[in-house]
Amino acid sequence: MIKYILAALILGGVAGYLDVNWATVVSSVWISDYLLNASLMLLLFVMGVVFAMDKDSISKIRRTGLRILIVPLAVALGTILSGVVSALILGTNVTATTAVSAGFGWYTLTGPLVSQVFGAKWGALGFAANFLRELLTILTVSLMVKVDKYAPTASGGATSMDTTLPIIVRYCGSDTLITAFSSGFVLSVMAPFAIMAIASLGHVRIPLFL
Amino acid sequence: MNFALLVVPLAAGMFLGYFLREKRKVNLGKVTLGIILVLIFSLGFGIGSNSELLNSLPDVGLSAAVIASLAIVFSVIFVKAVKRKAGLE
Repeated sequence: MIKYILAALILGGVAGYLDVNWATVVSSVWISDYLLNASLMLLLFVMGVVFAMDKDSISKIRRTGLRILIVPLAVALGTILSGVVSALILGTNVTATTAVSAGFGWYTLTGPLVSQVFGAKWGALGFAANFLRELLTILTVSLMVKVDKYAPTASGGATSMDTTLPIIVRYCGSDTLITAFSSGFVLSVMAPFAIMAIASLGHVRIPLFL
Repeated sequence: MNFALLVVPLAAGMFLGYFLREKRKVNLGKVTLGIILVLIFSLGFGIGSNSELLNSLPDVGLSAAVIASLAIVFSVIFVKAVKRKAGLE
């Protein structure tokens, strides 16, 4: 299946590139906004049907209850820590790099927000890093599911409520629908606050005795 | 992304699925794969047509790859560690 996904991604990329740079057949908004949203809404509808038809998945969710929120909190903590580690590896500004990470994969939010606080260069990085998080989640889902049933959910971050959700459910099973959706939802709500909170630490000098 | 756009179709699907329970199982596998491919195509299209993103990649691509990969690795490790506490098997 990953072959088809890769083919569709590349085909879409080439089509989008040619459409903008060579001859505009359709306005790119039609494909990257309307078609994307329409297919996403249709998929959510179908996933909802499949989920509710399965008695096991509902009883599983009843058993977990609100403890399910531990998943997005673990993703948030892990991601923020990863931002600090990335800054140390890349030798970049710790707060700016961590703010970029704290988009949790939501690139259309992170790019503009980080750019406002840290400037256009950081905005571009915020967009690219979070976009790559989504792309890597899609491309590695078949490997990730072997590591852990909930690894793709963790990897997707905020995107596991929308763009990566159909693929996560396809590989990890219908019973992961609520875990993945709620994790993505909580992270999407947290992302703007996390970015702004980290950005406000900007003036704090973290003493590094390296 | 408007949350209502996501929650409304999901809830509507669940509502319908709940009442279809006693009916025989329908196999939606092929249909879902087809729509997933449309979704992935439009994602790719959005990337290919985003000149700003493509132009910034040579400058920020490597740093972005490091940040994204570490975010994924740390998230997976953290979730794996607390999975039992969350009541997931």
